[in-house]
Amino acid sequence: MDLEELHQKKVINIIDEKQKWNLPIAEKDADIKDILSILSGRDHVWIVEKKGSRRLCGVVTENDVLRLLAPSRLPKYMFGKRYSISFLHGTAKKAKDIMNKHIIKCSPEDSVGDALMRMVNAGLRRLPVVENDEIIGEITTHYIIQILLGKR
Amino acid sequence: MLMEIGVALITAKLIGYLFERVRQPAVIGEILAGIVVGPFIAGKIFGMEYLSPETEGIASIGIILLLFISGLEMGIEEIKTAGKSGLLTSLFDVSIAFIFGYLVGHILGYDLITSIAIGNILVATSVGVTVRTLMEMNALHSKIGELILTVAVLDDIFGIIILSITLGKGSPLSLLIKISLFLLIFLVSLLIITRLKDIKIHIPRLILTFALSFVFIFSALANMLGLATITGAFFAGLVFSNFSYRRRINEITRQMGEIFFIPLFFVWVGASFDFYAIEDIGYLVLFFIPMAIFGKIIGCSFGAKLSGFKAREAIAVGIGMIPRMEVALVVVATEISMGIFDEKLSHQILASTILLVIITSFLSPVLLKAVYNKFKL
Repeated sequence: MDLEELHQKKVINIIDEKQKWNLPIAEKDADIKDILSILSGRDHVWIVEKKGSRRLCGVVTENDVLRLLAPSRLPKYMFGKRYSISFLHGTAKKAKDIMNKHIIKCSPEDSVGDALMRMVNAGLRRLPVVENDEIIGEITTHYIIQILLGKR
Repeated sequence: MLMEIGVALITAKLIGYLFERVRQPAVIGEILAGIVVGPFIAGKIFGMEYLSPETEGIASIGIILLLFISGLEMGIEEIKTAGKSGLLTSLFDVSIAFIFGYLVGHILGYDLITSIAIGNILVATSVGVTVRTLMEMNALHSKIGELILTVAVLDDIFGIIILSITLGKGSPLSLLIKISLFLLIFLVSLLIITRLKDIKIHIPRLILTFALSFVFIFSALANMLGLATITGAFFAGLVFSNFSYRRRINEITRQMGEIFFIPLFFVWVGASFDFYAIEDIGYLVLFFIPMAIFGKIIGCSFGAKLSGFKAREAIAVGIGMIPRMEVALVVVATEISMGIFDEKLSHQILASTILLVIITSFLSPVLLKAVYNKFKL
């Protein structure tokens, strides 16, 4: 597919059914081991309110977990409680303890070009596609490359 | 000036790193770097003139970024999730620490405003030293550890609010109107920014520029309303704390601040340390440091006990709250820039606060470990 043509398409038109049912999702009260288990095969987990729900409330990425896996290194200037969250010290127990609650998302009606620009501006490699606060799909760099190469 | 800044940056980095290696706060290393590049060492040996209006300006930006980051990282959520015991303990802690500080000024015969200003310095607690100690003791996840951390965070918030109320300019009525106006603008901004989930305009770094511009305008606004600029910077951080781009803003501001502006604030603090002031601070230090330590122990222990903690646990909470660091230094620097103290007293208060920072950051871990061992917590 031509890249310029892809930019013009709406996000809803590039999400396939397989992706919808294969999203990496866990509930916010999920045990940290379940999150790590998903992350052993995927590079992020979308966090939803409760089991069976698709109401999006956070995301955990490989990068979030990397900081928790490395030996504790506190920043020079520290405020708030976020730096006290640690695997080593038993303060990271559930998904909600480590998730990022502030999610940048796109809607199914956005153009792919807009979604990609948002990813560039925010320094992200993935965006959830959200409709009525519920996650219905995702745009990732991998996914876009696959479409571009005709693999999807 | 360029040479001074270059030398200061690398000296602060190296001494700060050495302190980190021996598990001490890098901030103390940066203050010592300031003493090295300041008028008493590099000034005398190499004729370097670190203290200048330019370096003071850079230090002021460092303060604003530091407070913006603190508001951004704490967020409104921390207050909401503090719980009854956290709020109660913090309330007692902040009140008693403030009163003890005020008493220092009163006993030494300073005027009302000076005594209040000393009270303000003693309110905040260093979250960094506390977390580091609790981690070393593997007590971060304990009930005591959680309370210490919650109260340490709340103390910083209350410290900045108290500073604004007590040192705001104007009559009580006009101050009340100004604070109400400031809070109104804050709440409206918070509402708008929190609801601003999406930005359709794709101008490179627009959000970061907007956030930085907001911080400085908000700080100037606070100043225009007779409040401290740091209050504006802190509340600007709170405004962006629920924004979807918070993480990105935090990453970039931290990089800018941590690499350049914030270390140069602490270097400026160290360079402003006047060795001649040490001769005259005997009485001040004699009251200031013990009152700072006991104010926290008594206030927190009392609050924690009332929250249902056992006496020995409550004492541990009090000891965990002793350290002072970033916010105390920011408060003292702000009070000096507001012209609250005369020149001689400014040097004395600054020197006393630096000594307080150093002593409490060494003392607190030792005492906390001793209490944990003695009481088998």
